[in-house]
Amino acid sequence: MTGISVWFADFSDLFYKCFIKDDRYRLLVSGVGVTIKVSLLAVLIGILIGILVAVSNLSRNKLFKAIGSIYTDVIRGTPSVTQLMVIYFVFFASVNLNKWIIAAIAFGVNSGAYVSEIIRGGILSVDHGQTEAGRSLGLNAFQTMTRIVIPQAVKNIFPALCNEFIVLIKETAIVGYVGLMDIQKAGDFIKSATYEPGMPLFGTAVIYYVLIKILTLTLRQVENHLRKSDAR
Amino acid sequence: MIKVKNLHKKFGGLTVLNGIDEHISQGEVVVIIGPSGSGKSTFLRCLNLLEDVTEGEIYVDNELINTPKVNINVVRQKMGMVFQQFNLFPHLTIMDNITLAPVLLKKMSKAEAVKRGQELLERVNLAEKADAYPAQLSGGQKQRVAIARALAMNPEIMLFDEPTSALDPEMVGEVLDVMKDLARSGMTMVIVTHEMGFAREVASRVLFIDQGVVMESGTPQEVFSNPKNDRTKLFLSKVL
Repeated sequence: MTGISVWFADFSDLFYKCFIKDDRYRLLVSGVGVTIKVSLLAVLIGILIGILVAVSNLSRNKLFKAIGSIYTDVIRGTPSVTQLMVIYFVFFASVNLNKWIIAAIAFGVNSGAYVSEIIRGGILSVDHGQTEAGRSLGLNAFQTMTRIVIPQAVKNIFPALCNEFIVLIKETAIVGYVGLMDIQKAGDFIKSATYEPGMPLFGTAVIYYVLIKILTLTLRQVENHLRKSDAR
Repeated sequence: MIKVKNLHKKFGGLTVLNGIDEHISQGEVVVIIGPSGSGKSTFLRCLNLLEDVTEGEIYVDNELINTPKVNINVVRQKMGMVFQQFNLFPHLTIMDNITLAPVLLKKMSKAEAVKRGQELLERVNLAEKADAYPAQLSGGQKQRVAIARALAMNPEIMLFDEPTSALDPEMVGEVLDVMKDLARSGMTMVIVTHEMGFAREVASRVLFIDQGVVMESGTPQEVFSNPKNDRTKLFLSKVL
């Protein structure tokens, strides 16, 4: 047999052993579900917290400002694994909630700190003349913010927000620490069960890569749509 | 229509307006001239409180407006403003730029606002641009849209803050033509500009502001041909 066919025979054996035998692929499929669930909810929570904190940071209220900056500071200064474990084992220790929801809250709280900075920068990047034009027409501060400034900020924010979303999906690979079976943990589990490290880990990597590729391409479409008012 | 009493404006320690008293009547076209840094733009921006007033009183239609008791948003609805940098909303089509405020502030239904928008765009010779975005327009076209946008609120007064200063020279004329047309229609206008020819032709009154005070005020004839103040003479000798 030539080298390639040997390699291929080995590969298919390994593939069978790691993914097909005992229906092991099912672990990965449900892992994909967990990763997506946790990431989606975390993104929503992150955006919500991000908006609140960004607005607090931009407000004139000293208390809001202080809370916002302490929060951002603490989140950025500690590892996300530590944050996840503190939230899971300490803050939510006696709360009866689905594991994945608690994990999503932890990642959302983490992501919110980064999202708030992105949003703050995005709002500040809109020329002040836009606010003046809105106010000069008689719009109040809130109407000017929601109808004029934020729609423009969104366009500036969007690429950075997509990037944050992608980072977040990869960050969720640590949910195994609190006993959730996501993609990473499923790959790990197969590794232990088969004593084969390479195939399950490459499988894990490929699944993450494909997920993120699909997401990137979709978000790029959305971004192109947002840019339709730019100079052509 | 607008009455200004003892208006002072300080930015930190810097005094920009140092006691201005002025009365602008209905139908007047007041053109404000003066060297850069003289406070003329700041004066204009105080009239609709885009700048906080440090001291003094501003009355619009006999109502004191620089007091927390007044809802400034309502006052601003009767004072249109046109900016040097146009400040069109880049994420909205030209028509949406024009209809946003009247519809949002419930002055008109969407259909009425679009109809009025079309009339205004015809008036500024841009009827075919309703569905374009600001980025697709030239500077002169943008400024004409900005004028239409301000007019859509049916203001009683129009404020112009150096409306032609950011334009290429060949586009200045088209914007001034729209403003002349507006002046002829009887609109009350306050205009900060460096276009002396325009001031001479259109103004019912010219104010020369320097060092934060009104140095001279009179008809274009009086101010341009027979200035009394030495600073006015010096300024005019440089710009005419």
